[in-house]
Amino acid sequence: MPTSEAVGAVEARMPLRFPREAVLVLLGLAALWETASFFVQPFVVPGLERIWHSLISLRWDYVLVTLARVLAALLISFVLGVGVAVAMYQWPACERYLRPIVRLLMAVPVVCWILFSVLWFKWVEFRIAFVLIVVCAPVFTVDFLDGMKGVQQELREMLRSFRPTRTQFFSKLLLPGALPVLLTSWKINLSLAIRVVTIAELVGAVSGIGYGLVIAQELFSVADVFAWTMVLVMILFVLEALLTRVEMRMLRWRT
Amino acid sequence: MKPDCADIEVTRLSKRFEQTITGEKVLAIRQLDFKVRAGEMVAIVGQTGCGKSTFLNLLIGLDRPTSGRIEIGGREPYEEFDYFRGVLATVFQQDRLLPWRSAMDNVRLPLELLRMDRGEQTRRAARWLDRLGLKGFEGAYPHELSGGMRQRVALARAFVVEPKLLLADEAFGHLDEVTAAALRKTFIDLARDQRSTAILVTHQLEEAIELGGRILVFGRPGHILSDIDLVSCSPSRLLSLRAEIQQMLQSNSSLSQ
Repeated sequence: MPTSEAVGAVEARMPLRFPREAVLVLLGLAALWETASFFVQPFVVPGLERIWHSLISLRWDYVLVTLARVLAALLISFVLGVGVAVAMYQWPACERYLRPIVRLLMAVPVVCWILFSVLWFKWVEFRIAFVLIVVCAPVFTVDFLDGMKGVQQELREMLRSFRPTRTQFFSKLLLPGALPVLLTSWKINLSLAIRVVTIAELVGAVSGIGYGLVIAQELFSVADVFAWTMVLVMILFVLEALLTRVEMRMLRWRT
Repeated sequence: MKPDCADIEVTRLSKRFEQTITGEKVLAIRQLDFKVRAGEMVAIVGQTGCGKSTFLNLLIGLDRPTSGRIEIGGREPYEEFDYFRGVLATVFQQDRLLPWRSAMDNVRLPLELLRMDRGEQTRRAARWLDRLGLKGFEGAYPHELSGGMRQRVALARAFVVEPKLLLADEAFGHLDEVTAAALRKTFIDLARDQRSTAILVTHQLEEAIELGGRILVFGRPGHILSDIDLVSCSPSRLLSLRAEIQQMLQSNSSLSQ
């Protein structure tokens, strides 16, 4: 028999409602833009119809290329970041040596990493992957390490009293305990990766949204730039919404 | 394989801690000496800071004694940590349920650690949840249950391994009087039924007397002030026992200050 609290929790897990306010704001902005296009030169503020034409004539294969780069780099960053975090957690000496390196990596501006990648590596795909991984992996490391350390002492003692193996201690307690933090770092890294990949693609890539933006800039086509920007924002929104659904499902135990 | 019995032998056991800030060494347990027979029910009472929980941590094997020895069935719980997997189980002050696991999955946890067959895990966990009056709540998460229900899940989690040694650390102290009394009774009945050795750490004298076995009164720093066998107590002594223990603790408290 479910309790009243249980019913409340079920209600909290209801699907996302239609974002009416967000849609209204977007429609308002579109109307403003369209009005502005009547008064300003079309190469500065193109009309919505012109943007729509740009949108439907975009190279959609570029979208897939960029998405593939982002997802592949995020997966590699995740594996690397979590692996390093586990090593740092397991061996304090390892943490003492690796923490300054991780902090150093996080302190270097993205644009410097892009320049380093251009100077160091010849293969374009490797350059992009390098930049994405070096930017995203430390976020996973720091967050996951903090998440594992944040697991309550009482729960650690409880589990230890049942004498788990090291692997069991990790899989039954540390991993699920750090999961909320890990999902948040996926969200952070997703938006970071989308922005970074575009800049990385601006330098030397011959495919992807960043390359599409370079072409649009060379043609002085604000409509194309705007269309690509809309695509980037939509990708981010859709991926974030998907992650939120995953988060709701995996963290359904939370009030 | 589980040992046949869980008799406990504590020999000149001492535990000293170093304070984190001052670096000063503090004696928590001093030359503790006693034995517990297998199947016996023992309550440890004492004031805050008398080393009850420290002793329990040594017994669980979470901590190493500074000197002396502690043995369960002839084996040292810290040195032979893995040997005691599935042998002893603890009910803590707070339920300490994993919030991301349902009641069923929380009860199954120790069985998962024992790598028991999954079907058997579910059957045993369901049986214990049922015995503790939680049928119908198997899928509920801890935040969906009341404090008493959560502690029942914690009891089921301890009993599901059918331990030879059951430990309870102020397990009912945070609950209201009625719920605590009901859970205490359930704990005692189930421990008797399982023929487990039971050690119940408490600061409540009523709880210790209710256990009906033996009371070890701890003084500060952790040593035995009195070892009372309730079974051999006369009815008149039982009536005055509460006052007797209270006086004992008060005089120890004034001596240790």
